Amino acid sequence: MLATLAQAVVNGLLIGGVYALVSIGVTLIFGVVKVVNFAQGEFVMLGMYISFFLATRAGIDPLVSLLVSMPVLFVVGVLLQHFLIRRVLGLGDMPQIFLTFALSLLLMNVMLLLFTADYRTVHTSYTDAAIDIGPIYVSVAKLIAFVVAMLLSGALWVFLHATDLGKAMRAAAQKPEVAMLMGINTNRVFCVAVGVSLALAGAAGSLLMPFYPAYPMVGQVFVLMAFVAVVLGTLGNVTGALVASLMMGVAESLGIQFIGADSGAIVVFSMLLLTLAVRPNGLFGGWAR
Amino acid sequence: MMRPRASVLWLGVLVAVAAVLPLVSGAFAIDIFIRVLLFAFIGVAWNLMGGYAKQLSLGHAAYFGLGAYTSTLLEINHGVSPWIGMFAGGLVAALASLPIGALCFRLRGPYFAIATIATAQVLMLLFLKFRDFAWGAEGTTLPNLGDAPLMMQFDGKAPYYYIALALLASGLGITRLIERSWMGYYLVAVGEDEDAAEAVGVNATRIKRHVYLISAFLTGLAGTFYVQYIYFIDPNTAFSFNVSVEAALVSIVGGIGTLWGPVLGTVLLEATSAMLQSWLGSLGGVQLTLYSLILIAVILWRPAGLLGVLTEAWDRIVHARAARVREVPLDG
Repeated sequence: MLATLAQAVVNGLLIGGVYALVSIGVTLIFGVVKVVNFAQGEFVMLGMYISFFLATRAGIDPLVSLLVSMPVLFVVGVLLQHFLIRRVLGLGDMPQIFLTFALSLLLMNVMLLLFTADYRTVHTSYTDAAIDIGPIYVSVAKLIAFVVAMLLSGALWVFLHATDLGKAMRAAAQKPEVAMLMGINTNRVFCVAVGVSLALAGAAGSLLMPFYPAYPMVGQVFVLMAFVAVVLGTLGNVTGALVASLMMGVAESLGIQFIGADSGAIVVFSMLLLTLAVRPNGLFGGWAR
Repeated sequence: MMRPRASVLWLGVLVAVAAVLPLVSGAFAIDIFIRVLLFAFIGVAWNLMGGYAKQLSLGHAAYFGLGAYTSTLLEINHGVSPWIGMFAGGLVAALASLPIGALCFRLRGPYFAIATIATAQVLMLLFLKFRDFAWGAEGTTLPNLGDAPLMMQFDGKAPYYYIALALLASGLGITRLIERSWMGYYLVAVGEDEDAAEAVGVNATRIKRHVYLISAFLTGLAGTFYVQYIYFIDPNTAFSFNVSVEAALVSIVGGIGTLWGPVLGTVLLEATSAMLQSWLGSLGGVQLTLYSLILIAVILWRPAGLLGVLTEAWDRIVHARAARVREVPLDG
């Protein structure tokens, strides 16, 4: 019983690390640009397809193709901010929600047209490998994904707190007008923020590829999880999103273990609705809206 | 915009055309018309919430599904006619909107949208999980009773068409009534700026709750109708995310927060999708690729939607004529 519990917690934490990359991306865009990116999951999907094709056509390991998917998606993010999101800033909820929502629909369905709904998998040397720690079984592929995800999250934290560009980003997030007066080019900062967010989503995609199938709608799984984590972790709060993602991973895993294989999502959504009922501003960081 | 007598005339022409349409078209065309009427009706219901009060729900499938399941359960388990079941379904949907609204109205903008997605998903997952309650993932087909008007089953497609037409007409009528009443002004005030509306004494939460109730009720009716039309129900159909998406899409593309917007939007989207389908066959992804491109174009270039484009064009024609009349004395 205790071993089952520990196993479920470990599984949940490992996948929670990948959720964290997606949630941090969502919360970073929301914090800086003040737009919710409904298409964040589709950029995870793009990262997965990039790694899939590099693995099957060129024999490149998904962990190496991280070095391709991250810069590619960074550029996509800069273009997305510069040519699309920038045009709807300050226009109210409808255009802001439905622009990224339409983008999400577009990416899913274009991929469906191009590559069908087939599940694509990559089998690496470590896909089936596992380490036994006492009675607990730890999948190597998931462990690598978790460790890299945590390293990237740490790197983001350092970037936001120790570099001029990162500080400018936090300034633009808190008071965009004042930041502009201080000589910060807000559009450039916004471009970098969206670029970094999408690069994290791309990284999540590459890290998932060794143990998770890619298909056009796969992003929906991750984006809904990320939305819950972002609300739970207080909107715009990067550390909150990280902690909440790990919690979501564990909650989902416990739901699957103890209620039934089809219950992970019910647990997650119920947590969202419960959070909204009890603490609509999230668990962390007071009353920031 | 238009003089009242002219608009009554136009409405009369429109009703006459709508009434004869099924008599002169084949089964394939009627099927498309029924889809248009149904989705226009769901769009109209969504628009009350999303258009006038600017509460952008992406979870109207919750009410569609509840309506569908209520009437089907009543019919199969208790032999109740779907005509009664339809209103029972609407009531269940309306009742469900109360707790869902109480939760979701705490959030604004994008987070309201996300919370509504979650409610529809939770309902779908519950119906998938609890197999004993309502057939689980396999769903069920409705008993085929042949031509049984009292059980909302008909041989031809024309009766379904007229039911859908009646639903849409009532939805438009209700929207018109609300638009003209104090409620309409309050809704628009809340939609424009909730805090300002509250400051001048509008009870924003109550008005949102009321309009959500009406919107959910109408969407529930649509759910029953759809199941009766396709003779089949399962959680993935009844709580389909596509229903939530299309409800919002047709309103935005047609003209958000306007009486005729959802109708125009549905005609445009369904017509292009039907044409595309007859041209390319039913290729997965084509329809939604097209829809999303149209949506992006509308948001970036024509936020007032198709109705805005048409009004603009109409005004330009009228102004051009007026300008031509005025030009003579000005020059001379």
